[in-house]
Amino acid sequence: MVERISPLGEAFRPGTYGNLVDGPGVTLTEATPAAIAEASAFPGSAEALLGAIETVTGLSLPATPGAGAVGGDAAAFAIGPGRHLVAGAEGLSASLQAAVALDIGTVTDLSHGRAALRIAGPRAEWVLAKLFALDFSPAAFPLSEGRATAHHDIFAHIQRTGGEQFDIYVFRSFARAFWEEICAAAAETGYEVR
Amino acid sequence: MLIPCPHCGPRDLSEFSYQGDATRTRPDPASTDMKAWHDYVYNRPNPAGPHREYWQHAGGCRTHLLVTRDTLTHEVQAVAFARAALNDGAGKP
Amino acid sequence: MSARRIPTGGLIDRSRTVPFTFDGKAYTGFAGDTLAAALLANGITLIGRSFKYHRPRGVFTAGVDEPNALVTVFKDGLREPNIPATQIELYEGLEAESQNRFPSLDYDINALNQLAGPLFGAGFYYKTFMGPVVGPLKGTGFWMFCEHFIRRAAGLGRAGYDKDPVRYERMNAFCDVLVVGAGPAGLMAAEAAAKAGKRVILAEQEPRTGGTANWSGEAIGGRQAALWAEAAVGRLTAMDNVRLLTRTAVWGYYDGNNLAALERVGDHLAAPPKGAPRHRHWSIRAEKVVLATGSFERPIVFPGNDRPGVMLAGAAERYANEFGVLPGEKIAVFTNNDGAYRAAAALKKAGGAVVAILDVRPEISAAARALAEEAGVVPLLGHAVVGTAGKRLAKVLIQRFDAATGRLSGDVRPVEADCLAVSGGWSPAIHLASQAGRNPAWDDRLNAFLPPQPTQEWTGAGAFTGTMRTAEALSTGRDAGLIAAGKKASRAKLPEVAAPAVEINPAPVFEIKADGKAFVDLQNDVTADDVRLAHREGFLSVEHLKRYTTLGMATDQGKTSNVPGLAIMAGARGLAIPDVGTTRFRPPFSPVSIGSLAAEKHGHFKPDRLTPMHDWHVERGARMMEVGLWHRPMIYGGAGETVEQAYIREAATVRASVGIVDVSTLGKIAVKGPDAAEFLDRVYTNMFSTLAVGKARYGLMLREDGIALDDGTTWRLGEHDFLMTTTTANAGKVMQHLEYFLDVVWPDLKVHLTSVTDQWAGAAVAGPNARKLLEACVTGTAVDNEALPFMGIVHGGIAGAPVMICRLSFSGERAYEVYCGAGHGTHVWEALMEAGEPFGIAPYGMEALGTLRIEKGHVTGAEIDGRTTARDLYLDWMLSKKKPFIGSALMDREGLIDTNRIRLVGVVSLDGQPLGGGAHIVENGSLEELGESIGHITAFCYSPALSKYIGLALVKGGKARHGTRAFVSDALRKRFGPVEIVSHHFFDPEGSRMHG
Repeated sequence: MVERISPLGEAFRPGTYGNLVDGPGVTLTEATPAAIAEASAFPGSAEALLGAIETVTGLSLPATPGAGAVGGDAAAFAIGPGRHLVAGAEGLSASLQAAVALDIGTVTDLSHGRAALRIAGPRAEWVLAKLFALDFSPAAFPLSEGRATAHHDIFAHIQRTGGEQFDIYVFRSFARAFWEEICAAAAETGYEVR
Repeated sequence: MLIPCPHCGPRDLSEFSYQGDATRTRPDPASTDMKAWHDYVYNRPNPAGPHREYWQHAGGCRTHLLVTRDTLTHEVQAVAFARAALNDGAGKP
Repeated sequence: MSARRIPTGGLIDRSRTVPFTFDGKAYTGFAGDTLAAALLANGITLIGRSFKYHRPRGVFTAGVDEPNALVTVFKDGLREPNIPATQIELYEGLEAESQNRFPSLDYDINALNQLAGPLFGAGFYYKTFMGPVVGPLKGTGFWMFCEHFIRRAAGLGRAGYDKDPVRYERMNAFCDVLVVGAGPAGLMAAEAAAKAGKRVILAEQEPRTGGTANWSGEAIGGRQAALWAEAAVGRLTAMDNVRLLTRTAVWGYYDGNNLAALERVGDHLAAPPKGAPRHRHWSIRAEKVVLATGSFERPIVFPGNDRPGVMLAGAAERYANEFGVLPGEKIAVFTNNDGAYRAAAALKKAGGAVVAILDVRPEISAAARALAEEAGVVPLLGHAVVGTAGKRLAKVLIQRFDAATGRLSGDVRPVEADCLAVSGGWSPAIHLASQAGRNPAWDDRLNAFLPPQPTQEWTGAGAFTGTMRTAEALSTGRDAGLIAAGKKASRAKLPEVAAPAVEINPAPVFEIKADGKAFVDLQNDVTADDVRLAHREGFLSVEHLKRYTTLGMATDQGKTSNVPGLAIMAGARGLAIPDVGTTRFRPPFSPVSIGSLAAEKHGHFKPDRLTPMHDWHVERGARMMEVGLWHRPMIYGGAGETVEQAYIREAATVRASVGIVDVSTLGKIAVKGPDAAEFLDRVYTNMFSTLAVGKARYGLMLREDGIALDDGTTWRLGEHDFLMTTTTANAGKVMQHLEYFLDVVWPDLKVHLTSVTDQWAGAAVAGPNARKLLEACVTGTAVDNEALPFMGIVHGGIAGAPVMICRLSFSGERAYEVYCGAGHGTHVWEALMEAGEPFGIAPYGMEALGTLRIEKGHVTGAEIDGRTTARDLYLDWMLSKKKPFIGSALMDREGLIDTNRIRLVGVVSLDGQPLGGGAHIVENGSLEELGESIGHITAFCYSPALSKYIGLALVKGGKARHGTRAFVSDALRKRFGPVEIVSHHFFDPEGSRMHG
């Protein structure tokens, strides 16, 4: 199998940067999973689609806006009504495709089309609030939930994958520009790239 | 201005694209009634007060919303997914 | 320290001396000083020159309302003009300069403008520059010549030319309760809401929290008010549901209870910490807002009221109590209310000599009398100031005054004073409320506007509501906080306030009419006579008055001049003030840096969008160009090659052998679902339901009005699975167009759309040797004409990576688009380059791509320009007659089928010179006489295949003109020359090369 090349290129430089007086406030990593797919249900088939996602990934998601689940090497969350972003292991898209009948919905492989950037640490909410008009507090944005939003021209699908951790899925072509933005935003709190 | 997206919650205007008047009816695709087509494509009411319009949550869930907005105050009085509202008949102009 | 610095007291840190410079001279102040306080402490009272008349001006206030003391600050090699000295915190090495003076502050040549006073009255610019010039100077440009000097002489500070290198950023915040203002009312409100468990943001524009508690001299809860405030802030900062923002001015109140604020993060530091922005723009979405914005003191208008040394009484009190600075040694007080008596007592207590208290009223309260006694002076009741003298205030001229009639009587007497503390009453700071409320209401008791009825979710507290007593600030503050938190107002005991029982209910005296310039708006040099002149000239409405005289404009937005201006206009019109009305306060409340609004986009307006092969292109020396957000290779220039030489070489290599171009930027949309084929039939002008799986078709979309929208190929990958491609430029527009129709017009169709532009890397391999190249590297599938005919699709591998190959041609050559996962893009591209090496493969850029398509007459966004129809582009063969489609109903309207519309043709330069994009085509004319346009050039190039300069054009009549001569007329580029109009199919019109 040919290895995928990261879209970050030379913009990805491991090390610590910015104001490190109180240590790095966040850690930035590229967390693009082996496979990413969008699974969407036709009207009236939302539950059936969620069943297919559970069959393939073992993740159980309620059919509520923004709902998500994280577990094992998979993660999934709603990005629109009946639409989900699913991340997981190699072969995910084909398995989902096989599990979703024609009448239920569709599956589109995005393994190359999206990049996932991860921000973790005590200042993650603060840094993200500079870039997105979302309430990142745990009460408003609980663990495993997802949000669809945009930073200027850059669409972003964001999931809280840990107490102080978020995965941000962006279009691959924007990944480097967005990475540089998030690094600049994190300079105030200090950040570590790894 | 905030629009309360039924999927994403209240979001800033900058995430939305105005997609036009929701009080129009598209003529039958095969219709040759040119007046009906002209009305659909060009003629718009310009009410001072509540107005039904489509907004796409382009910087969010991408769905089109059927929004009732007061053009005098920007108050959003009602929001629904356009597709669901149109499919169940509630959103018909 | 200087004589003006009081030995003890104030909230400054006397242990830290801070050096700074003003107009190049070195001074020192203390940490906690503003520049204004430090200058006053050093005895500097002349700080700037005025806008129009270059009159000497000093410090007039102690806060954001400052109209006069504007300076330019130099930091990090940059100049920032028009910053009020009252808003600049002293830091080590602060470098400030006075403005609008030449050659120096003390001796300013333009002060001569004062002699021409009447010339520069209200509406000066309108009268001078907008009327017709008559007489001998008519048509000479004389006024333009004069304007240069007049504009230079007028104005505020100069902006710099250098790029601002610092970082600005944006912060999005959400809270239950936003409290604006951290004075006693705001502190009470914040604590009440926070104790109720709410998420609270408390924003204070000043560096110091506490507001009036810092200088009122009152006691709260049995201790100095400032200490009470400090303790309250201490409790708030210990709560993790409270965010305290100092140096943060809330400046806008927008729909949806969204408020905008500016945090000055780094301005007060000599060297801000690494990574910190200079300013942070806060966008705060609050469930509820408490406005505890306090009030502004306003002056009385009298001749000479602008002389350095004249300042607001509250400001003088604040300098003494908060900064430990005496604004003068011999202080006179002029007032129409009791408030100034407290200031007089405070100034006396601080060591100043209060030489006189002049009060327009015939009687005063017992409390005021007691304070006057503390100040050691007997107030002169029924007196007014009628003039001042000295470059810096030396004398105050006074006369007997009848407040009921406004009449002056008796002798004018001088009083020696170097500071005149003036109070004309206090106006609630209703600016934010005015942005989120109805019309403000006039209050006859306070002689000021009270906050309007809210149209958004806010409650008021403290002086903002018109109650000027600290005890009431505490009670209204606590209640507002509780109400904002959804609780009931409390009856629990509040901290005791010890304060003199003065009432700030001013006599309705706004102006003393006497000889001399009496300024209403100090910043804009608008006098009381200017207001009356505007009235005589018919500018009666307050909105007109503002625009005609500039009253209330510029950086202070008339915070000190609003009510006096209205009062004078009301007097001129013989109306009551509320009948004249008030202007609506719009954002921003106080100046906002443009950088903070651009925030992280400062100097970097749009993100760079990169293809998977971007780094390869750059490493190979490609010259990149921006196409929308994308970066694409323009040419891969060799050493010493010009752009033209490079693209000619690249295009010629494609025609002769093989070339490769990155087409990853094409918009790609996955169209899937049981109704996908039906959907495509409705959106494209031609049929797609008849397309076989494993085949692609060229498609055209129209808008509802029948105008062409976009074109591209769509590939049928499965029965219910299509891959649509769009032009690079229209990818987003087409996606939105399709989503609209699915959601709104055909909500019953089972179709999903997903943007997969970024999923695929695309490389077009074009040229007679393209097939041989693929044969050398593709595995798992044949690529011969049988396996992969024109518009066929195959799946295979290249260098171990899965690929999808579609045979289609934009260049007119035998060509293939090779798609692979974006993460494999560079890997596959390099393998294609390697396989092409024996054929002398050339990577080609946008210039060669354009050249090849012009030679073929293929259209792009330059021709599908939102005005052209399918027929205009000779694409009518794509308009299906078997089905309706978007645009079919309106595309045949009379005006759209007129054969004399501008339609697609080719043009050939007949003089061997290049053509230019956008140049007009004319039938006759010359470089001087442009001739009548019959169309324009949309694209041009040097064609290596034809060895000529050619172009595509949209010309009236189109095909009917083939074989005729015309001219290209381009006045902008000074180009006029003969062209021949020909078919747009310049090269291989039969298409034998791409089908072969």
